[in-house]
Amino acid sequence: MALTDDMIRLLSAGVAHQVGGCTNAGRPVVCRGMAAQHEAGRLLVIISSESGFEVLDAIRQNGNIAVNVTLPENYRSLSFIGNDAVVRGSGAAWRPLVDERHEAFRAQLVRFGIPREFTNAWYSADDEHLVAIRFTPMAARNQTPGPGAGDPLALLPTEFEK
Amino acid sequence: MSAVFDDGLSLIGVRRMMEGVIPPVLCTAAPDRTPNVSYLSLCEYVDPLHIALSYQFFNRSRENVLATRRASLTLDDPYTGGGVVMQLEYQRTDTEGPVFERLRAKLMGVASHIGMDKVFHLRGADIYRVLEMRRVPGRRELPAAQPRVDLPTNSRLLSERMANCEDMADLLDTLLVGLSDLLRINHAMLWLFDSSQQVLTLLASRGYEVDGAGAEISLGEGIVGTAVREGVPIRVGHMMNMATYMRAVRDRADESGLTPALKNEIPLPGLKEPRSQLAVPLRARGRVLGALLVESQHDQYFGYDDEDALMMLCGQLAVAMNLMQPHDPEPPAPAPARAPAVEQGCPTLRLKRFLRDNSVFLDDVYLIRGVAGAILWKLVAEYLRSGRREYTNRELRLAPELRLPDVQDNLEVRLLLLQRRLCEQQAPIQLEKAGRGKMRLCVVRPVQMESSDS
Repeated sequence: MALTDDMIRLLSAGVAHQVGGCTNAGRPVVCRGMAAQHEAGRLLVIISSESGFEVLDAIRQNGNIAVNVTLPENYRSLSFIGNDAVVRGSGAAWRPLVDERHEAFRAQLVRFGIPREFTNAWYSADDEHLVAIRFTPMAARNQTPGPGAGDPLALLPTEFEK
Repeated sequence: MSAVFDDGLSLIGVRRMMEGVIPPVLCTAAPDRTPNVSYLSLCEYVDPLHIALSYQFFNRSRENVLATRRASLTLDDPYTGGGVVMQLEYQRTDTEGPVFERLRAKLMGVASHIGMDKVFHLRGADIYRVLEMRRVPGRRELPAAQPRVDLPTNSRLLSERMANCEDMADLLDTLLVGLSDLLRINHAMLWLFDSSQQVLTLLASRGYEVDGAGAEISLGEGIVGTAVREGVPIRVGHMMNMATYMRAVRDRADESGLTPALKNEIPLPGLKEPRSQLAVPLRARGRVLGALLVESQHDQYFGYDDEDALMMLCGQLAVAMNLMQPHDPEPPAPAPARAPAVEQGCPTLRLKRFLRDNSVFLDDVYLIRGVAGAILWKLVAEYLRSGRREYTNRELRLAPELRLPDVQDNLEVRLLLLQRRLCEQQAPIQLEKAGRGKMRLCVVRPVQMESSDS
């Protein structure tokens, strides 16, 4: 399945990212993400291997993933679910994307009076710790806080499914 | 199973991360290991091994937790950007008791600001055992903010000053001045609860352009009205952020058809755009007499330590309010004093009372209502009938026509409120102290009284 145009626009609007997984032993794990990008029907997510080591372990075990993106200005929140996530590629190549997403996120938070430097702690991973996760979104959920959080949202069929 | 915490970490030590400045993130998983990530409204410290999470809606997170009993939670430090991640085991859901009441009060307090208290129904407090807690590694944290003042030492100084106060007016002024001088809390209001009318009346304030004595809000309105109704302190450290979060939930409730008729958003009292607020109830003898509301134009201005300090000072204030009711025999009722001649040629003052709520108007301008309104009516009626101007507080306390239970507890405070309100209005009727436990009515214009049942 593929993301709708609206979902793709949201990814670059200054969202916060949370990435969840679950080990084969049933241990739910979560970490903050730094960037997400749509790539031809798949979703690319960048996390830090330091803060996200548990999530990476869980993904390597079973490929299950949930990526939550939330826009601070209205708490609009979506989750993308996959079961074929792979951890592949790391390093400085992802720095421009991370910096771009970080800047958009900071612009969102400034309007709430949160100083720009505050989020540096969340994005302070060294280049060698930037790790890419790719997966095919099998489902999307509306995670905007409130009743029905977790309800499914429609995705678009990918080219080969049409 | 014993808990595994990183060195130096404790739940009490991460309480500041539970303030909702940055909403907690909960990760659960279905039995097939499909994860689900969502934000929560509130997280509350319970004891060194347990926390409570708000349960408002039955959604996928809850479905997962009930099926697996496991969850992971991340909390971010609103001061340094650091954070912790926890492994949780679901224990039970409380639908009553102190933890539930604290969570509900916080939720209602924040929601009532923006007219959403009818939407925010707390179904329960989910109690979790914390199995593991560790710092989020790899974050370059900002230095922690230095304390604003030495809270324990300066609170003690203020407590000592309050203990030396002789009367109610001195006590209130000492508290408000001390908050500013010693604790650097420059915007504060003291609200008095009138249980017969179910309203809060502003008794005194400091740090605002308008004094506002006599202003009213309903029980349950805003964080101060909610703090009084629930009898617990409520603190909001980042009001804009919480308001946005709450609106998101309301919008979802609208879409789901769950929203009852919403009232308009309630304008925040005091500061035009407060960034932090803390409301602390005044409790004595198991009852709530009112509340102190403090505000700041800065985010995250009040922490848990402020809450602890103000709870102690407000407890002292509430007890003092009770103790300042004279228990010693009071002087006998003074003989009727001759009324002084009113100024010649002055127009007649129309004093109108509405029996429904004892609201009193002077020349059609609202003055006050409730117990204080009933007292003024009695004093002026007696003055017109007999010319008497001086009264003892004891007479009022025993006056059968007042028949208002709160007079028993808070007569001195009601009289002070009435006195201040008359003074603020520069009314042609004034009330002044005439010695210990006595007061004197001063009337400088002819008065015509008018009572209405409506």
